[in-house]
Amino acid sequence: MTMTTIKTAWTALADPVRAWWAGLGRLPRMGVYALLIFGALLLPNDQIGSFMSPYSDWQGLLFFPIGGYILLAIGLNVVVGQAGLLDLGYVAFFAVGAYSMAVLGKIYHWDFWEIIAVGIAVTALSGVILGAPTLRLRGDYLAIVTLGFGEIVRITAQNTAAIGGPNGMNGIPHPPNLTTWAFPSAQPFSALGLSGLTPFKYAELDSRPYYYLMVLAIVLAIIFSKRLANSRVGRAWAAIREDEDAAELMGVPTFKFKLAAFAIGASIGGLAGVLYSTQTVSIIPDDFPFILSATILAAVVLGGSGNIPGVMLGAFLIAWVPERIRFLAEYRVLIFGAVLVLMMILRPEGLLPSRMRKAEFAEGTGGMGSMGGEVSTSKKTVGAGE
Amino acid sequence: MLLEINDIHVHYGKIAALKGVSVEVDEGEIVTLIGANGAGKTTILKTISGLRPLSTGRILFDGRDISSMPGHKRVLAGIGQAPEGRGIFPGMTVTDNLLMGAYARKGDFSKDLQEAFDLFPRLAERKDQMGGTMSGGEQQMLAIGRALMAKPKVLLLDEPSMGLAPMLVQQIFSIIEEINRRGTTVLLVEQNANQALRLAHRAYVLETGSIVKSAPARELLDDPQVRAAYLGAGATD
Ligand SMILES: Nc1ncnc2c1ncn2[C@@H]1O[C@H](COP(=O)(O)OP(=O)(O)OP(=O)(O)O)[C@@H](O)[C@H]1O
Ligand SMILES: [Mg+2]
Repeated sequence: MTMTTIKTAWTALADPVRAWWAGLGRLPRMGVYALLIFGALLLPNDQIGSFMSPYSDWQGLLFFPIGGYILLAIGLNVVVGQAGLLDLGYVAFFAVGAYSMAVLGKIYHWDFWEIIAVGIAVTALSGVILGAPTLRLRGDYLAIVTLGFGEIVRITAQNTAAIGGPNGMNGIPHPPNLTTWAFPSAQPFSALGLSGLTPFKYAELDSRPYYYLMVLAIVLAIIFSKRLANSRVGRAWAAIREDEDAAELMGVPTFKFKLAAFAIGASIGGLAGVLYSTQTVSIIPDDFPFILSATILAAVVLGGSGNIPGVMLGAFLIAWVPERIRFLAEYRVLIFGAVLVLMMILRPEGLLPSRMRKAEFAEGTGGMGSMGGEVSTSKKTVGAGE
Repeated sequence: MLLEINDIHVHYGKIAALKGVSVEVDEGEIVTLIGANGAGKTTILKTISGLRPLSTGRILFDGRDISSMPGHKRVLAGIGQAPEGRGIFPGMTVTDNLLMGAYARKGDFSKDLQEAFDLFPRLAERKDQMGGTMSGGEQQMLAIGRALMAKPKVLLLDEPSMGLAPMLVQQIFSIIEEINRRGTTVLLVEQNANQALRLAHRAYVLETGSIVKSAPARELLDDPQVRAAYLGAGATD
């Protein structure tokens, strides 16, 4: 009964927002976007931090895992949410990006901005290399092969002496400072907690400049991903996701578009890897375990696969909640897991699914989907029997 | 000859589903393929539209060998299919489903959309409904309408009457006739042999991967073997 109440309450909350958004013109939407970005820039505030994260360093948390997970979730969403390909080895691309940064920056002393471009290209290429032989497989088979790929990348890193083997790499360079300009110690900056902040000076201690870099990357990834979704490519992905054979019969080059989804998803994961690596300075192969792939996938599914605000919300919750409930000590993971399970029972289609995704879900195809459907139906039957 | 299937063999793994099938379809014809469950009818259509590779043999379309052409290019060449099980995109509206049918073409599709709605008024009434929530019969109409959006030279239909009430079966068959009258060649796979043989010009009978008979459709209606096996008239004869 409480479940139904929560469910109704959530719908009552989400639906008007959706309707309001749908009715909004282009210009007001731009305004909302600007406000959201502005809000994101003010987030590393100490007051916000004392509430959001009383047990850990809020500014560091904002960069990673919160910002990092969000960027990774947007990238994985291209593959899983848009093209409908189950990728269980997404962490591999994060690792390729991180190691690209480490190798090119530390060994070859390349400039950070060049590395970003090359890192994205290298991970896109690794996406193609993984995709080309495997994308003829479908569903579960593809999932297993991608899972294997994730492990292969990690184990290769572990066994390659040139990139540090199991000890990984350290001394990865920070980006060069764009400017050492600092916010003045005057109003309104002091009130916002900004005074003295050097937003474009990339040093060891202050994680805020990296966070801003992450916000920029997230904004660009959102724009890119949105544009794709509304293009011919996006339509082709939707068709492939819903019925691959039918898509081919419509004249969609399905293989080519699946490969493109893999490459684009990979490059966003690679971008996240480059940023992560330049901030943390040292990386080891165990920073890229299978569980991270699973976590990002959970974020996408929890938030609402296919819908960008949804997957961002999912990634935020998955990154933030475990930190916020640190006071629960060893019960933390247990409770977090239970909450995830409960969420998926209440809203198997995710917190903020797209309209399309909802309709696909109603069809009841796809493993997890039909399971969720069964849970709620059986409950209804019990109620009716009483 | 518009479509010429020449001694094709198709395998699922090691199992041969088609063992040397030859079928010809001339421009303007309605040709039907009848056969029991598992005879290989769907496999033939999938091989023509490029969803299944063939092991040996050739498929000629419009004078060209398309045997190794990828499926999405065959749409442009002029092969349209309403697949078995309809293959509707559940998360797209009726209109978007129809527009997906024109994916491979460029230009303005409002006229073609109107034509589809004229042919299937039911689709026009429900043009903003999600494909997945349409009834079985409506989905069948949508699948046919969508295939027509590609302006195919030949339309491959895989059991369009499956699961439909008799009234609707009648309606679908007369629409197929109308589509053919407007100039589209039709290759029709059917369980409903009686109806299919009345509609088609010529027919092939398929048994476990081989063609066992081919003749003008009307003749097969009176063929005692065909009557016994496919028209459920065996007991009375
Ligand atoms: N994907 C597959 N893998 C293995 N065998 C298959 C596959 N698809 C079809 N077959 C087999 O190939 C044979 C022909 O199947 P096909 O679907 O072409 O039959 P059909 O004539 O369309 O039957 P129906 O009237 O029941 O639709 C059958 O024996 C079937 O079991
Ligand atoms: Mg069949």
